Amino acid sequence: MTARENLFDSDKLKVEEAPNSLQRDLIDGLRLGFISILVMLAAAFFFSGIVHPLFALGSVEETVMDVLTRLCLLVLPFVAYIVAAGPARRYSATNMARALFLALTCTVILFAAISAGHYALSYGAFAPRPSLEMSLSQTEAGIRVDAIVAGGAADIAEIKVGDIITAIRRDQVDLAAFNKRLNQSEEEAPLRLRFIRGDEEMQETVRVVLVSDKQLSVLIPGLVLGLVFTAIIVFLPGHWAPYIALVGLLSPLIVGYAWVIIATFSYRTEGLIPLDGNDNFGGLTLKNWESIIVGNIAGLEFNIVPIFMTSLAIALVMTFIVLLVSSMAGYALSRMHFPGRRFFLSFTLILHGFPAITLLIPIFFVLLRLGGIPIIGDLIGFNTIGGIALVMVAFQLPLGVWLMKGFFDNIPWDMERSALIDGASRFRTYWEILLPQIRPGLLALGIFAFIGGWNAYIIPATYSIGSGVSNLPVFLEELIDATAPVDWNQVAAVGMFQLIPIFIFFIFAQEYLLNIYAGGTKGSS
Amino acid sequence: MEIRIDNLTKKFGDVVGVEDLTLHIDDGEFVAFLGPSGCGKTTTLLTLAGIYKPTDGLIRFGDRVVNTVQPKDRNIGMVFQSYALYPHMTIFQNIAYPLKLKKVPKNVQNEQVRQVANVMGIGELLDRRPGQLSGGQQQRVALGRALVKEPDVLLFDEPLSNLDARLRLTMRGEIKHLQKNLGITSIYVTHDQVEAMTMADRIAVMNRGHLQAFDAPDELYDRPKTRFVAGFVGNPPMNFLDVEVSQSNGHFLAEADSIQLPLGADRGAPPAGHGGPVVMGIRPEDIQIVEKGDVTGEIFVVEPLGREDLIDVRVGPHGFILLADTEKQHRAGERVSLNFDMTQAQFFDPQTERSLLWRQ
Repeated sequence: MTARENLFDSDKLKVEEAPNSLQRDLIDGLRLGFISILVMLAAAFFFSGIVHPLFALGSVEETVMDVLTRLCLLVLPFVAYIVAAGPARRYSATNMARALFLALTCTVILFAAISAGHYALSYGAFAPRPSLEMSLSQTEAGIRVDAIVAGGAADIAEIKVGDIITAIRRDQVDLAAFNKRLNQSEEEAPLRLRFIRGDEEMQETVRVVLVSDKQLSVLIPGLVLGLVFTAIIVFLPGHWAPYIALVGLLSPLIVGYAWVIIATFSYRTEGLIPLDGNDNFGGLTLKNWESIIVGNIAGLEFNIVPIFMTSLAIALVMTFIVLLVSSMAGYALSRMHFPGRRFFLSFTLILHGFPAITLLIPIFFVLLRLGGIPIIGDLIGFNTIGGIALVMVAFQLPLGVWLMKGFFDNIPWDMERSALIDGASRFRTYWEILLPQIRPGLLALGIFAFIGGWNAYIIPATYSIGSGVSNLPVFLEELIDATAPVDWNQVAAVGMFQLIPIFIFFIFAQEYLLNIYAGGTKGSS
Repeated sequence: MEIRIDNLTKKFGDVVGVEDLTLHIDDGEFVAFLGPSGCGKTTTLLTLAGIYKPTDGLIRFGDRVVNTVQPKDRNIGMVFQSYALYPHMTIFQNIAYPLKLKKVPKNVQNEQVRQVANVMGIGELLDRRPGQLSGGQQQRVALGRALVKEPDVLLFDEPLSNLDARLRLTMRGEIKHLQKNLGITSIYVTHDQVEAMTMADRIAVMNRGHLQAFDAPDELYDRPKTRFVAGFVGNPPMNFLDVEVSQSNGHFLAEADSIQLPLGADRGAPPAGHGGPVVMGIRPEDIQIVEKGDVTGEIFVVEPLGREDLIDVRVGPHGFILLADTEKQHRAGERVSLNFDMTQAQFFDPQTERSLLWRQ
């Protein structure tokens, strides 16, 4: 092999990294970890100590800063683990034992450091709590004293194991109320306990002491979490990172949808777990769906078909008009020069940015007057599907026009010229040559419009007061209003039912949305 | 189809695209519009196509004034630099589109498309879409689409610019061959003077919206009527030198600093009669490196082109580009003696930039 070939041998291009000593790597990782801890603390201090007082001076809402501060403190350990595990990543492919050792050692040390920090700051797990230095359990008769710390507060007050506490002063308490009361007490605060010893009712005053009652065992889940987290960081293939991050960010949404789906098929749920009447796992049922079809939820009688049709009508009318008008207006704005073009463009942008809710009342009056006109009033007046669709279309159009203009802008002029020269009229060029090329855009806008119309609540609810015109979201709200107590599983079923057409729409549109035409032109025009 | 353009002006607001262009193109002629970017050649082409409406002037196709005729009613075919194929249609549909718009019956369409496709060598690709084709194939499709409706006029807007050098050479020959066979009047816009020289019957050289010259390629090369034409046509470009031409005893001499070049009467008399400084132009191939010549200079740069070397020689403050045999192996810094073939020298008025030798 000649020297020249050797140079282009791709394997040789990778420079072998000289392995550092273990000690060196460890120190590197830890240094980075500690630096990141300091950075996060500094950030937290920046939000709470600098920005917060500034905002407070101007008496502006401050909760954002609180949230940011807490967020900094919350993610602090994870940031430290990520950064510290970074140097170990490069061994993940070649020397797994070493990578593991480095990452885990860093994590343990950082975890210890962070925990120690928490303790020192009296913040979190080690914070001293008010205590009476005895352990309790709830029985039918009252709160039973199970154990007493020798020489502790309870011992001093001569409480004995087996006493049944019934009240603090004159307030009857159970264990939860007792603990709540205890947690609100300050150091040295006297609590006069009433208890039963044998058959005798007695009273003793116990003084609260502050004790850090947390055992080391509470740290173990945190440490395990940290270790697993670091291991993932070290061995995670690089290209997975975005997915993991996305799944993490989307998890509230995923859990939410999971609940909706589970809830529709169960009598009741505890978290994500469906339960039957005896609080046992199970209790799956179709009754929520059945009652939608039967048209009777908790005594509220209805017919789902016209409601569904109203929703569909609003969505379809809106989709059709939005697509037609946006594509034509977009074409004109992209391709033609006419007076007022620039003004129109900026004006629609302003309209788009304008909060629609503020127009609710003025439009109400407009529709009311429109309703008074014969024939037209029946189509687009107050309390008509047409009127609702018209208002929704108006709100959707600025976005649509801009979107379509953008898509038309991307089609080279030559394409259109070519069609004109081939013998097409201007309209035919638009219809046969340009529209097919912006199909992904049309579909995207169509989905926006359809979903917008399908899920519309505030406009249908406002402009169809007291009429038969009611779409699914408005019905959903009526359902929550009219039934007491609200059967949330029923509500979830109606919500799920509302989602079905959107699901179907997406299943079929997915392919087209992803299919973006390539080729056919080269260079720019 | 004969095309007559008279005093054509096209303005976009205040921006002048073309001004006062007069050009008569014969039936079956292949004309190239040559000029640098932004010289108005594409504007003229699109005005001929009917995409732009002329601000002023007349365009006639035969006897018909077509100023306001829609593109679809002009029966023209056009090939674009970007190919402008319709990406959502198959190759067959692309080529058939002009026929479909003409409402040609389906079976006739089918037959004509296949015929054109076979001529263009894309018969096997008819079921594909443009995105699946190479650049050369796409350009053949575009050409096929322009030809299928049997147009009276073919317009080319830099059709080969996006192809690689080798393919460009092949396509150049094919287009010229096709045009001669079909005898369709063709206008070919390009900024590549080699394309224009090799393909066109006549070349219209344009600059800044004005027609500089309209002549056969050899005429433009041998008898450039303006300095712009002389500089633009020919590769490597002509050398220019400010000189004074004097006459004594029937001998003419062009002088610039230390450079003294004797001239024949046919080339020397007009610049000498003009009086004062003139611009002399001499093509690189008319300067030779010799043992003992008129002028000595020093080689500044040697650029090997393969077949020959492009050499930049400095003579005092003046630089000359010339071509030399690679076997001579000239090196930068070497002192050489130059011989100028003054029978090929051109002379221009420094103010008007018009040729002193060839009157328009």
